[in-house]
Amino acid sequence: MRQRRYRLLRGALLVLAALLLQVGVVADLRLFDAAGDLLLVLVIAIALVEGPDRGATWGFVAGIAYDLLLDTPFGLTALVYALVGFLVGAVGVSMVRPAGWWPVVIAAVAGFLATFAYAVVGNLVGIGEPLGGVPVVALVVAGWSAVLVLPVMRLARWAVGTTEPDRIAMALPGRLS
Amino acid sequence: MALSRPRPRNTGSRARLTILLLASITLLTFGVRDVPVVRDVREGVGTVLDPVVGVVQDIGRPFANAWDGVTGYGELEEENERLRAELDEARSGAVSESDATRQLAELSRAVELPYLGDVPTVAATVVSGPRSNFSHAIEIDKGTDDGLAVNMPVVTGGGLVGRISRATGSNATVELITDPEFRVGVRVADTGALGTAEGHGRDEPLAVDTGLDPDDEVAAGAGLVTSGVDRSAYPAGIPVAEVIETRSSSGGLALELVAEPLVDVDTLSYVSVLQWEGGG
Repeated sequence: MRQRRYRLLRGALLVLAALLLQVGVVADLRLFDAAGDLLLVLVIAIALVEGPDRGATWGFVAGIAYDLLLDTPFGLTALVYALVGFLVGAVGVSMVRPAGWWPVVIAAVAGFLATFAYAVVGNLVGIGEPLGGVPVVALVVAGWSAVLVLPVMRLARWAVGTTEPDRIAMALPGRLS
Repeated sequence: MALSRPRPRNTGSRARLTILLLASITLLTFGVRDVPVVRDVREGVGTVLDPVVGVVQDIGRPFANAWDGVTGYGELEEENERLRAELDEARSGAVSESDATRQLAELSRAVELPYLGDVPTVAATVVSGPRSNFSHAIEIDKGTDDGLAVNMPVVTGGGLVGRISRATGSNATVELITDPEFRVGVRVADTGALGTAEGHGRDEPLAVDTGLDPDDEVAAGAGLVTSGVDRSAYPAGIPVAEVIETRSSSGGLALELVAEPLVDVDTLSYVSVLQWEGGG
């Protein structure tokens, strides 16, 4: 129980640190008028380390935290990050344990698709973002995600890593028997 | 990898995912409706975290400046050239404009219309650009403690930048003119025709719905200023944009103007907030 509490505390501190770095520094490091998304990288890393269940949960938490500081509709980031956490975790689990360059590839693809998902869902709820500029933004986010995912996975393993198997991962057919 | 732990039922995990998605969608519904409790929580968190974000920005500024230097050097040179040419042009126009401005101020006072030059302003520094790729807002270092309030217009010497969308004691968020949700009533400076300009995203021109007939002509280069019509959120006469082309809209029944904002909102360092709470 105590271990679990420490993990939650470390995870919350990691999300807070990523949030402050994102809005304070990373958001200003623009390339082709787009910035990386450190919180998204954190969600991807946690999902790869911990699986879809905890990936979705921490995705939701990180998204809510980011939403509190943005001017876009509240809950939009939480929804997208929770989905990304779940899907990345599920992909990671289906590969037994993504190692080598696979996390980099998964992070790049996840970053690219998450940006599109954000723009599409955002348009559905009325942020009116023209989709023409999204591919460039998605490429920049994908690049940042690919570069940062390995060190962030180390941090995620330290902060929220556990030996307990992910509940959804255990429930997937043909796994962990 | 073998585990002795018994496999838990799948339903609990699915239930958690379903709950998370439903919670997100519920929050999104509140967010889209901009319910007061969400706004209050955001303002509260902003009040607590903005000073910390400021410290992080100060620490990261040298790194951000170095990044800008590396990635934006070519653009900076081009912009310098362009600005030098514009400065020469502006100097020549300034003399005749000062006389016209004086006459406008006198006329406005004579007919008791609010004159832009009479509105008190608060100068502010831009402390950060958009906080995400789909945000169209910047942060400034002045807030309610300095007399700012939500909906006050934000300008530079070049023209309209946006409006205050959120304000805490020491900081404020400025919704930029390029935000797809931004609307401002405008007047074509040459003809006096009225319209509503709306943002279309970063680096995209504004679209201006007018009541003009598609056969009417509006010259490219015509200036647009805030209309300041009754209950307008902006005082009359703030330069907004320059027409770059016209096209028919509403099935060919009306004329739509495409206009380039006069202010480059990507490169702002300082702005002025007009302490105007006229309408909106």
